[in-house]
Amino acid sequence: MNLLRFLADNRAEVFRLTLEHLALVAVAMLFAVAIGLPLGVALCRRAGLRRWVLAGASVMQTVPSLALFGFLIPVPLLGGIGARTAIVALTLYALLPILRNTYAGISGVDPAVVEAARGMGMTERQILWRVQVPLSLGVILAGVRVATVVSVGIATIAAAIGAGGLGMYIFRGLAMVNHQVILAGAIPAAILALLADFGLGWVERRLAAS
Amino acid sequence: MGADEPERQTNRGIVAFRRVSYCLPGGRPLVSDLNLEIGEGETLVLLGRSGSGKTTTLKLINRLLEPAAGEVLVEGRSTQAWDPIRLRRRIGYVIQEVGLFPHLTVERNVGLVPELDGWEPTRIRTRVQELLLLVGLDPDAFARRRPHELSGGQRQRVGVARALAADPPFLLMDEPFGALDPVTRAELQHEFLALQARLRKTVVLVTHDVREALLLATRIALLSEGRLVGTYAPAAFLRAAEPEARGFLEVLSGPGPQNVPRGGL
Amino acid sequence: MRRGTILALVFLLSWLGGCRSEHDGRLVVGSKNFTEQIVLAELLAQLVEARGGVDVQRRVNLGGTLLCHQAIRAGQIDLYVEYTGTALTAVLGEKPAGNAAEVLGRVREEYARRFGLRVGEPLGFENTFAIVVRGDAARQFGLKTISDLARHAPGWRAGFGYEFMERPDGFKGLASTYKLRFNATPRIMELGLLYRALKENQVDVVAGNSTDGVIAALDLVALEDDRGYFPPYQAVPVVRWQVLERLPGLREALGAIAGKISAEEMRRLNYAVDGEQRDVKAVVGGFLRSRGWVSP
Repeated sequence: MNLLRFLADNRAEVFRLTLEHLALVAVAMLFAVAIGLPLGVALCRRAGLRRWVLAGASVMQTVPSLALFGFLIPVPLLGGIGARTAIVALTLYALLPILRNTYAGISGVDPAVVEAARGMGMTERQILWRVQVPLSLGVILAGVRVATVVSVGIATIAAAIGAGGLGMYIFRGLAMVNHQVILAGAIPAAILALLADFGLGWVERRLAAS
Repeated sequence: MGADEPERQTNRGIVAFRRVSYCLPGGRPLVSDLNLEIGEGETLVLLGRSGSGKTTTLKLINRLLEPAAGEVLVEGRSTQAWDPIRLRRRIGYVIQEVGLFPHLTVERNVGLVPELDGWEPTRIRTRVQELLLLVGLDPDAFARRRPHELSGGQRQRVGVARALAADPPFLLMDEPFGALDPVTRAELQHEFLALQARLRKTVVLVTHDVREALLLATRIALLSEGRLVGTYAPAAFLRAAEPEARGFLEVLSGPGPQNVPRGGL
Repeated sequence: MRRGTILALVFLLSWLGGCRSEHDGRLVVGSKNFTEQIVLAELLAQLVEARGGVDVQRRVNLGGTLLCHQAIRAGQIDLYVEYTGTALTAVLGEKPAGNAAEVLGRVREEYARRFGLRVGEPLGFENTFAIVVRGDAARQFGLKTISDLARHAPGWRAGFGYEFMERPDGFKGLASTYKLRFNATPRIMELGLLYRALKENQVDVVAGNSTDGVIAALDLVALEDDRGYFPPYQAVPVVRWQVLERLPGLREALGAIAGKISAEEMRRLNYAVDGEQRDVKAVVGGFLRSRGWVSP
């Protein structure tokens, strides 16, 4: 079919755009995990902080992605056009699932286990790292998986602000009213999302089994 | 620290409550004006109904709770003066739900405190073997298993082994056998007696089961509504006149093998 | 049974409501997705409403040229403003050739023959692609024409819209005509972001529109097309013939403004919306009244 022919004919460009897309998602996820995990852990301790942080992340998710990209453009340092702004937006979107799952996972550990740990003389930090985190890895990973899949989808919008990725085909196809080109962007992006979902799901299952 | 050492030797295994009170943040007192001494090698059973303050009293010893008034002295020092971590390492803690770490093997569960204390791996392994034998579990069969593969009774045995791992002078037990079926419970109670005869730890055990109290205690401390009604040797408890005591005694159906008071050695 | 009937009625009503019938006494005006187009659509709409007594629905911001073209062919819009050069190259797929009158004639002929669309009288201005650079850069390097730019281009960063990259009268032809080469691949993004990116120094040259209001306001300079690469882009109304027959008021209204809007006026209207952030309806209303085309 024509789509396959198009993908084959333009495989260098398809490959390049796919890599760009993956790079955007990967960097954003790295930041999101680096910020979200420790923050999620901190939330377990402080009820006051929790309310604000979770509310903030929820609000972030409700902002339509295209709008968020637009809002960020005039922001100094983080903004402008290009990959950096896209990564900031993607990171913000990925935060909520990660935060929420980290917090839920850690606070959801059997209280008897935590009490036993405390009673036997483990420090709070030891309890966190040796008991709570290992026991909530499955839930935390589920949050990372959701965040990643969502990011692959939202990253298609990055093309609107000059950040590249598979969204370029989608926007180009929209401008030229060429369905084939639109699909050349949409379908690989969907495949990427599915791969991320399955891949991380597999890791999750391995962790749950062990 | 150094100046405390000689004091520690003579005070080893001793706990004292001096006019201790504890209340909930709302203000309701769970323990009022408690005065109690626990001597080395004793098995003191805190007996009482639900809400009598017995678990609260227990948790004041290893500083999971802090007194609102009065002080709790462990080995001659107020719990407030102890570093909580060091205090808890000297106290074995066994709870009803056991609380084994589901993601670790039996071996790693039992060896946890020694590991935290920095023991060498070989020493830990030897110790774990010793302890599993002590609590009646075949090390070869059980060391590599995970908690979810064990029965309730087996789990609590591991819980006791874990509590004893670093050879602490104290053992706190909060209704340790309460979740087990009667047959297993009886089995473990008798094994506990055997263990105690060998190890001579200072044990504080919480229960609402008067038969268990009579069986295991060298001394019974009866609590009611946060107050200490009295302390009794088991034989003396049978003859106690206080209404709270009589309430418990009426539960007993009559004299029988399991009602013979032990302890008081 | 009663619930089923109600549901059926609801569906029927909403379907009817969504129907655009040929036989409505109504006009649908469309536009592309940049300010000038939105302004022009509003202008035509208010004009026809006031003078032609016609009910007008606006469907603006539709996307690019080809989207509008598809929409008008499908009858989803009845009228929009196209540019002759764009019609020639992007829609008809022909090579840019000839002067303004020739291009207009060709477009008119082919639109009627192939699509059954009527191309009205030019509105009076041209809107060509403008290759725009920052004012200070233009002054520093003495840039007046696109040829001047070609000398410095390799080290510069370019920003273009998706349509400009893909159209035959767009970047490819420009690059080959002027030997324009950029070392870094041009950044491609939504139209609305181009000028901002240029102003904030994230790109050095963009392809905008010659009648964009903000060019002067942001101290930007549009370079002259010294080799005449771009075809003429006269702004013309394109309308479906059925609608023209059906609404004589429309014909009259279009006639009233033919040739009467200058590039300068268009630029000012654009700037009022883009630069001064004023409401399109108000800007257009004021303009129409000031020219006496509608009564106050």
